[in-house]
Amino acid sequence: MSKPIYEIIDELPTSGMTVRALQALDFVVPGQWKNLVGFENTIRDVTGETDENMIQQIGERAIYLFNDKSQGYQTALWMYQKINSAGGALGTAAMANKIGESISFLSFLDRLTPKADKLQAIDLCLKIVGEAVGYAKINGIPGDGIGEFASAVADNYTGPSLMRMAALICFDGLIPLGPNFILKVEEVIGNLSSSDLSSHPGFSYISSMVPSLGGDGQVGFIRSSFDSIKGWMGSFVGERGLTQSSIVSNLQRFIEVSDSKLDYVAAFLDMSTNWYEHTGVQSLARSLVERAQAEI
Amino acid sequence: MVFSSKGVSNKVLMSLVLALSLLLMAACGGKKEPSRWDNAQNGGKTTSSSSTSTGTGTAVAPKQDKPDNKIPDKTAPGAIKPLDGGTFNKFFPPAGDGYDRVAVQEKEGTAIYKLKKGGKDAAELSVTDTANNPSAVEKFKSSSQKIGGYPAVDQGSTATAVLVANRFQVKAISKDPSFSKADREKWLGKFNLSGLSALK
Repeated sequence: MSKPIYEIIDELPTSGMTVRALQALDFVVPGQWKNLVGFENTIRDVTGETDENMIQQIGERAIYLFNDKSQGYQTALWMYQKINSAGGALGTAAMANKIGESISFLSFLDRLTPKADKLQAIDLCLKIVGEAVGYAKINGIPGDGIGEFASAVADNYTGPSLMRMAALICFDGLIPLGPNFILKVEEVIGNLSSSDLSSHPGFSYISSMVPSLGGDGQVGFIRSSFDSIKGWMGSFVGERGLTQSSIVSNLQRFIEVSDSKLDYVAAFLDMSTNWYEHTGVQSLARSLVERAQAEI
Repeated sequence: MVFSSKGVSNKVLMSLVLALSLLLMAACGGKKEPSRWDNAQNGGKTTSSSSTSTGTGTAVAPKQDKPDNKIPDKTAPGAIKPLDGGTFNKFFPPAGDGYDRVAVQEKEGTAIYKLKKGGKDAAELSVTDTANNPSAVEKFKSSSQKIGGYPAVDQGSTATAVLVANRFQVKAISKDPSFSKADREKWLGKFNLSGLSALK
């Protein structure tokens, strides 16, 4: 068996680039995210329980549920991990540094390769697909799948899940693709072919988990996933008045980055952080604990 | 080249220290300190306080009293299949009393809703099928109160649960201190418990 869930949650970093990058987005979703780390801490925080016997029972039930493959939690975790590491070609090489203290943007500049818009657009879509699949696996999908996912994002997402969507919009949308990122992505996926997918460096890792939809197969599912939340993303940006410069100036409070090379900033974040997996584990942990408490 | 005896003994000492630390590392295997969760991870028995240990070791087909924490074979003959969480939706009470109701989980044998007030979580309402977790029924044996005619218990400091048809557990959990034990009991009473009891 892979690593126990309690160790995965216990080993989430309490500092480093990922945590700083997420902290920098507090202005986007104020007070929604705190870096809740540790299995026991998560149980105490989610349940508000102080009775040690109850905490033990909830924890044991959560471990049991996670370990039961048919419950889907392991698949969700796997999605969050694979999509995160599929992000960039540089990702793996720099993995060792990910949870390190601070990485200097400038010292890495010569090792950064900004992604072409097309690749960046596909990456963003794959993260949305991962979110839709992860949501279904963790919470179950009542109703019609993607539509239910979209309304959950709009109405129910809080805490680490909302922060993950904020990071998706800022780090994979606005910073690398600019204020018209939604239009750009639409254009790319409008012309997307299945050979584009098979030549994508990371798609093969998650391909088996991406459902098909309609005549366009997996491309159809990717388009539908994006379409289902693009309106919400547009409102999210508009209501908060998010701009590239507002994000970068907040980032600069936590991380040393330049405000003149935004595509490099995006590549740098991609390389030096794993916010998608980090918040994915936190979301999974919360749902698992809530369910465990209901079932014991 | 000739080493001084002091040099040699230093070298021997260093090799010894190195060998010892390697041995130590090998013995530890890079393992972490034992955790309170290791037993559960290894399929150990649950530590529910309400039941007594039978001392029979690991049973092949665990029965109600003290289920093994191993993942069961749900396709085994005679295994009770938990109902889909979606089956329970219609028995939940609607939003009301100033609370919004939001569906949050619908998994095998489990449906969970949240009650929100002013955008903040106030409580969690759930129906779970104890076919998934038979030991959950145990605590109701010492129940001294009833809600809607069904046995009810308080669990920990934030939860109140009702057992319907000796199988379905209906629970209200406070997520905010403003949602009191009395509120939990009131909302549990709003479920369609008799409808739920007719499920098979």
